[in-house]
Amino acid sequence: MLGFVKQLENRSRFALIVLAFLIIALIGLVDYLTGYEISFSVFYLLGVALAVWYVGNQFGILVSGLSVAVWVVGDLASGARFSSPLILIWNALVLLTFYLVIVWLLARLRSLYHNLEAQVRQRTAALTDEMVERERLERELLEVSEREQRRIGQDLHDGLCQHLTGATLAGQVLEGKLAALNLPEAADASKMVELMEEGIDLSRKLAKGLYPVEMAADGLMLALEEYAATTSELFKVACRFECDSPVLIHDTATAGHLYRIAQEAVGNAIKHGKARNILIRLEVGEESTGLSIKDDGTGLPESLPKNRGIGLRIMAHRSAMIGGTFAARRDEAGGTLLTCAFRAESESSKTRREQTQN
Amino acid sequence: MNKPKIKIFLVDDHPLVREWLTNLIHQQPDLVVCGESEEAPHALQEISATKPDVAIVDITLKHGSGIELIKNLKASQPGVAIIVLSMHDERLYAERALRAGARGYIMKRETAKKVITAIRQVLAGKIYMSETLAAVFAEKFVDGRLPAGGSLVEQLSDRELETFQLLGKGYETRQVAEMMNVSMKTVQAHCAHIKEKLKLTNAAELLREAVRWQENNPAS
Repeated sequence: MLGFVKQLENRSRFALIVLAFLIIALIGLVDYLTGYEISFSVFYLLGVALAVWYVGNQFGILVSGLSVAVWVVGDLASGARFSSPLILIWNALVLLTFYLVIVWLLARLRSLYHNLEAQVRQRTAALTDEMVERERLERELLEVSEREQRRIGQDLHDGLCQHLTGATLAGQVLEGKLAALNLPEAADASKMVELMEEGIDLSRKLAKGLYPVEMAADGLMLALEEYAATTSELFKVACRFECDSPVLIHDTATAGHLYRIAQEAVGNAIKHGKARNILIRLEVGEESTGLSIKDDGTGLPESLPKNRGIGLRIMAHRSAMIGGTFAARRDEAGGTLLTCAFRAESESSKTRREQTQN
Repeated sequence: MNKPKIKIFLVDDHPLVREWLTNLIHQQPDLVVCGESEEAPHALQEISATKPDVAIVDITLKHGSGIELIKNLKASQPGVAIIVLSMHDERLYAERALRAGARGYIMKRETAKKVITAIRQVLAGKIYMSETLAAVFAEKFVDGRLPAGGSLVEQLSDRELETFQLLGKGYETRQVAEMMNVSMKTVQAHCAHIKEKLKLTNAAELLREAVRWQENNPAS
């Protein structure tokens, strides 16, 4: 019913005016044919309602008047006779009043209805804006944390580690000097050098955690390969990395996001899915490049606890940030299949190809 | 007794490292640091001028890359033995550096003990690398993954060889597919066969092998 109401709203004003007139004419005709003893007055309301709802109050009043006129003419034409013409006028006025009350009611109803609709639209728009804003903020948060991590990682790698290297060398020079004087403290200096070397190793590992993918284009392949190996060893699971043909990621940020997606997915598979076998795949398709992580764990539950939902959402955000699409679903064989498809073609390779073609 | 000292040139973008490396080297009576630089173009000039016996080069420099510098030095100053001293992971860069012409690779975390050893070794005409890295290379060699003179490459079919060459020239899978006018799936199948025939374990290795082969056979 509501659908029908909506459908009529899409018609042109002119068509609706014509329709209202047609209805009045048709009912008038039936009223005339059925004779004056049977009252059809209530059916004119159909035309009146149509006129008010879709065209306007004034047109509704006009159609009301017209309906009364048609009714009077129809009855008279079909042979109605009254003892006094006043009775006919009285009846017509009663009917007109009735129609006008209906016109008023419908007009009010219509304005309420439209107000409500406008309000719903407004609220929906506000809500959508808020959702967009929230997603933007979430993304920004991710971007900022990623950028900061990378910066700290790089500072550790290029700044602190180099500084420690200098210190280690200084320590070794000291050790040499002490040894030349035949002093037993040379052994302490040697120990100090060792400790500082461990310090370099520790900060290197820290930097690696913050900034896992080396800058070269094949860095992601290597990083994922290494990650799969470390994970297998650390968690006693079979985590493999598969990559048939070379996949080069020229943008370090993109590579970083892909690495983090794999990391999060594998972490989830082990922690929540109790998976024994995990396969990370990186492959080039006709349209896009894809990263997928498949496991044989318990699979995604119907409703996710809040913290896991966030993990998935962050993976989706990361995908969106590299212009990719993210999907998480239960694998046919049980377990979970996460995929991120993205376009990975660098500017440089594009230009190179263009040069080749020319 | 007045034997001329062995001259060493340092290329590193970190002043503290250069300073103490110099001090360390000067503790050896027969070694002397003849110059230092923090960027590739300047280093190339200085090395041509000072004619050192050994150059110690970092991979990340203020301007230019260490690997490129090694290639340039190899071409213009073949007499200089180059040792890479870098913070970067040896698994990622050592092979590249050695293929570019370096005679040694030291990761900075093990500098203190190893720098002098490495200098002595390369001066003796040997290659210096960590035991871990040596083990990796040895394993590859035993597995036949380091083909002598590209004999394994000859086993590739024409289409596989074409794929291998294009990858070596720096084209990506998608571009290779377009240039050979075949589907991506076909290129992937070629890659799988190449890996099998050349006994390579992963795509990253395949790529590096292709690049290396291309560098050695530029005419193809």
